[in-house]
Amino acid sequence: MKNFDLKNQAFPGQNETAVNYSSKFRNNNKDTKNRPPWFQRDFNLSKRDGEKIREHLDNLTNDEIMGLYYEMREVKEKWDKGYYYPNIQILFGTPFEREKDRREQQIWSEKYGQENEIVEWYKEAKERSCVWWLENHIIARHALSASGCMSCGACTALCPAAEFFDYNPRIIMETVQEKNEDEIIQLLKLDTIWYCFQCGSCKPKCPRGNNPFGMISSLRQLSQIKGYHVYSVRGRQQYAARHLWGGNLWNRAFTLYFRDIAVETHRDFGPRHEISFNHKEEYFRRVGASPDMDGSLSSRKVHPKTLYEVRRLWEAGGALYLWKLIEDAAKKQADELDITIDEYHDKVKTEG
Amino acid sequence: MTEYNKLFSNSARESLWKRYIKDIPDDGYFLTLSCILGALYPGSECMVPKVYELFGLNWGTNPKPESGWTCCSGIAYHGDIMPIEGTLLTVARLWSLTQEMGFDAITMSCVTSFGIHCECKDLYEQEPGLKEKIDRLLKQSCGREFEIPKHILHISDVYYRYRNQLRDNFMKYQLIEKKTGRPLNVVDHVGCHYSKLFPEEHSLGGSEYCEVLSGMGAAWGGKEIDYPERRHCCGMGFRQCMISPNRGATMASVHKKMKSMDSFQPDLIITNCPGCQVFLDKEQWAIYEITGEKYFIPVVTYQELAGLLLGWDPYRTVGIQFHAVPVEPLLDKIGIPYDDSESWLGVADRQIY
Repeated sequence: MKNFDLKNQAFPGQNETAVNYSSKFRNNNKDTKNRPPWFQRDFNLSKRDGEKIREHLDNLTNDEIMGLYYEMREVKEKWDKGYYYPNIQILFGTPFEREKDRREQQIWSEKYGQENEIVEWYKEAKERSCVWWLENHIIARHALSASGCMSCGACTALCPAAEFFDYNPRIIMETVQEKNEDEIIQLLKLDTIWYCFQCGSCKPKCPRGNNPFGMISSLRQLSQIKGYHVYSVRGRQQYAARHLWGGNLWNRAFTLYFRDIAVETHRDFGPRHEISFNHKEEYFRRVGASPDMDGSLSSRKVHPKTLYEVRRLWEAGGALYLWKLIEDAAKKQADELDITIDEYHDKVKTEG
Repeated sequence: MTEYNKLFSNSARESLWKRYIKDIPDDGYFLTLSCILGALYPGSECMVPKVYELFGLNWGTNPKPESGWTCCSGIAYHGDIMPIEGTLLTVARLWSLTQEMGFDAITMSCVTSFGIHCECKDLYEQEPGLKEKIDRLLKQSCGREFEIPKHILHISDVYYRYRNQLRDNFMKYQLIEKKTGRPLNVVDHVGCHYSKLFPEEHSLGGSEYCEVLSGMGAAWGGKEIDYPERRHCCGMGFRQCMISPNRGATMASVHKKMKSMDSFQPDLIITNCPGCQVFLDKEQWAIYEITGEKYFIPVVTYQELAGLLLGWDPYRTVGIQFHAVPVEPLLDKIGIPYDDSESWLGVADRQIY
């Protein structure tokens, strides 16, 4: 494997194929139907083209896939007193970007992840009991006060999620407090922990100063560390979340990219959303934003050096380790179901 | 009745309320923005520097062109794909940038970001040795150093601080119906992560009587509406709204709020949370499609409301065309002129639709 210049995300010795590959799409952004399936985001895509996507992506070397990606991403053109990066919209959220992220994050973990004290702690937690986690994870420790939960139910009475879902934070706090390993494992495999809105309405109302929504957050992390999340429909959605938010963070330094709210997946947003979305970059630019452009406000293309800094932090903070665990659990389940990882992605994103 | 038996002691009440008063500096704001607001209502964020510049405030967002603000990773943390240490480091970097620019106040337009910054500060205060650990990791990873900033402010705090000056010196309109002189009925919806996570330390007025938006509404001429589900969450729920099959919970929460506020005849809803803004606005369409109930109450951010009352162009500057529920009926009530043929123009007023 060649050594990538990770800091500047430049790819030494880019080959001819890469150049031709990107230039093919440069002036063809709106013509989505003619793109190969690994550059599409259609939910039914994987059923039709799952094997084709895998065949193509698996045959690309690490050098090729990252070379193509950055070659395409850095293409820019002058537009409205600035530079616009037209290929970001082709790359985001595609099977191609997901494959690039998997391989690139592996390289980052190998290069920077040696003796990472946060990752070492999470590795130890994976081997230890769930009760150990609850006694040691910083969020879990702060979520349950020394006086414990008195099971008054104030959290559940005003919980907006408990109103619509089979979800009861009081019972979850009781289960945690009991410290029965088997019951906690059972809880981690259920849909119920994934129903919480994370709004925090419970926190100011607890008469004992507990933080039920913090505890839920800690349990969800534990569920993924142990690989129990794939047992529930809501839990295995984390694979889609890892690529939606994780992909946006890793490649654009934002958890939500302005093109994520596609009309096809957001019909509930109404007819005006469709009008606005179809010419988004024009409307954004008109009010002064920098959609996929160099700039300082939202929706800008983040400078590679800024991206490098935050990537280092996410590696140091254990995010890459967590994403790898989510990735491995998804791959294992996809193999059991005899579907490709791209089909699995679409399955978990649309079921429920 | 003896002093002992009175229901309320004035001095005790005064000291209680002091806990909910927040110190907002006049100047020197490091500005960080929001993934959600920037993706759906970009005008709101682009107007913040314009308002700061009305007052000639000292603010900044990137110490160097190549080294700027990023997402705080809050959505990823509450969406459970980011360990808390990753979020602590991301926030520490933003604090480091704040200090690099010489500011002691960090401001953000996202309420979840605000909650995350407050959460990080709280963890450093509660957990011995955490600051040293994150210091070490930040230094090793990107050579930066950081201190906990003196002020963590939501941008709505800053607008609240300047609400009267905005009205007295710059605003051309008020929240008053032009034809009748009636104050408009203003519903405020404060984001949960602004008011509920650290109500005493960081929220103007605490969680029950949060003042940050109702204070702006009142200062700008409106009438505050109190309704039963006023403090109910909008249902955004991170993974609930963003993974399509889960979004029914979000719609149901918005529906509950709409039903509760409807009999009070609200003229508008003001929000300070990007997620709440999106779903209170957009899901009114889904509710109409599913139930046939037409609420269609305009939902605006405090930045958009300020921009409209300042007389800024509704389409070119404020960006009301991005709303699912049309804002034009509100402009008609206030008497703000607009030309709706301009709503879907592109760059340099190019006709594209």
